[in-house]
Formats: sequence, C-alpha cells, structure tokens
Amino acid sequence: MPETETSLAPAVFDQLQKAMATNKAGFTELYRDFLADAWHTLRELREAVQQQRIEDARDKAHYLKSSCLVLGAREVARQATRIEELARASAAIKEIEVEPIADALCDVQAELAERLGSGVLPAGKTAA
Amino acid sequence: MASTTRVLIADDHPVVRVGLRNMLQSDPTIQVVGEASDGLEALELARSLHPDVLLLDLAMPNVAGMEALREMTAGNLDTRTIVLTGLIDKRQVLEALQLGARGVVLKDAAVEHLAECIRAVMQGQYWLEGRPVQNLVQVLRDLTAQTAPAPRKTFGLTARELEVVGLITEGCTNRDIAKTFGISEETVKRHLTNIFNKLGVGNRLELALFALNHNLLPTPDGQ
Repeated sequence: MPETETSLAPAVFDQLQKAMATNKAGFTELYRDFLADAWHTLRELREAVQQQRIEDARDKAHYLKSSCLVLGAREVARQATRIEELARASAAIKEIEVEPIADALCDVQAELAERLGSGVLPAGKTAA
Repeated sequence: MASTTRVLIADDHPVVRVGLRNMLQSDPTIQVVGEASDGLEALELARSLHPDVLLLDLAMPNVAGMEALREMTAGNLDTRTIVLTGLIDKRQVLEALQLGARGVVLKDAAVEHLAECIRAVMQGQYWLEGRPVQNLVQVLRDLTAQTAPAPRKTFGLTARELEVVGLITEGCTNRDIAKTFGISEETVKRHLTNIFNKLGVGNRLELALFALNHNLLPTPDGQ
C-alpha cells in the first residue's frame, strides 16, 4: 500500500474521533466492537461461500459492508460489495474471492492498532 | 437556546447505530431518542416516541426500510424520514422520495453529512447527493427520466408482426397463429416472410433467439 493511502477514510475517522473526544474509551470500544463484528461476519461469510449458500453470502457481505461504510473502512466495504454483487447475480463464488476482504480488514486493524493502541484489538483475536 | 431535534435511528447493525448515535450526540442541537434494529421496531418507536427525524436504513429485517417508509407515510406521522443507503440506486431514491422521504444519505458519507442533512430537513429542505436540494420538482423529473425503461426497439416491425413474433416464441404453429388472429395461414406466412426479411433471420428458431436477445417480446403490461 502506498504510504499516503490509509485503510480508514481520514475524514470519517477524524470526525468521529472529534465527536467522541470526551469519551476516548468509548471511541476505542466502538472500533473494537467493529473489528470483532467484522471478523465474526467474515467467518460466517466464508462458511456461506464454502457451502455455496449464495443468499446467506449476499446477506453477510451486505451486513459487513454496512458498518465498514459508516466507520470508514473503505477497502473492506469495496471488497464486500464485490462479493454481494456476485451473489446477487447468483454467480458461484470461490472461497479465494473472499480473501481480499480479510487482507483489507487486516490493514484496517493494523492502522487502528497504530492509532488507538492495542486496546482496540478484539479479545480472542480475529484474523483468518 | 435553539430547540433540539429528536432523532430515531433505525439500522440492523448495532455498530452502525452506536457510531451514528455518538456522532450525532456531539451536536448539541440533536438528541437521539431511540434506536430500532428492524423495520417493525422502527415503526413502533416512531409511533410511540414521535421523533422529529427517523434515520432509516433501507435494508433491514422484518419490515424492510421501504415498506416501513410506506407505512410511515400512510400513518400520517409528522416524523421526517432520512433514508440511509449503501449505494445510490436512482430507482430506489425516486421511490423513497415518492413515499415521502426528505433526504437520502450514503452510509459512507453519514458521519460527514448526517448532522447537516438533519438540519436542512428540519428547515423544510430536501437532501440528496450530499447537499440540500433547491428544486425538488426538477430532481424528481430527472430521476423519472433516468429510471424510465428504454423504449422497445421494433426494427420496423408492425404491431401485428410483433404479435406474430410473440406467438412464434411461444411455439405456436402457423395454424395456431391464424386461428388466434382470425386470418388465413397464407397471411401468416406473408407476415413471417416480412419479419424474416426485416430482421435478417432465416428460420423460426433464429427469430425466437433474435426476439429474446433484442427484447422484442411484449412485456406483461402490454408495452
């Protein structure tokens, strides 16, 4: 990733951080909950794809996209949208096609840890 | 002191609700009075809490957002609805506005624009594409034009010839077609010859495929 590019939309992160300036712990908690939920949804999405439950895969991808859009995780949202669109077209989805979501989510998590410290990492870990 | 705007958030994603609530509550003119996780709960809370503004996600379980919006309008509630969506689908935007939505905000712009959108809507304005709308009539006109289906291309076929094409694709024989229209089989053959010449096809199968590929078949509403 180029140095100038960030995994989180700066305008979104900065504005939310400003809005929650008096509640720093709450801000970290918000992104910790986001990460925990995103990893959990990704696991469910992988299962749905493995079992070719296309409608489930569409719903999981859409659900994941929703929080990513609001909290500024643009690349994760873009990759989730790609899977959602494949599912809407009733296309067979290969498991490997879900992996860019995990890669993008790892980038977001790393950036959040750098900005907010390890307290933002969900308990029990996360990734793939 | 300025009066506060009472807001109800309806989104099935808890993280989204928490994020939006925290963001909105930093604005002293906005008070989040409730949160709903599906369309049914959104309707119930809108009826009981009478919020000034409902932030409504379109894709929600139980009662979907658009259906909830329809019910809100039918119920003559004073609440002004702002639709939250992941992407701009012009057809959906048009439908939402027709159902009484006062604004449409993309989720990736919610943190940046939502408070401003709420203020605009409370001042009686509409909000689309990240800014207040000056001329709603023009917006509706444009959206209607952009979402209207493209006119069916007929390749110079007459209305009767198009009807014959429709019956051919249903597998009708010349005799069936003649009977349907009360004409002779010779006339059906003449229609077919004209159709083949106009479309450049050589047989009934090619005609059927051409008709399917070029949207020549009549729609259920007869258009």
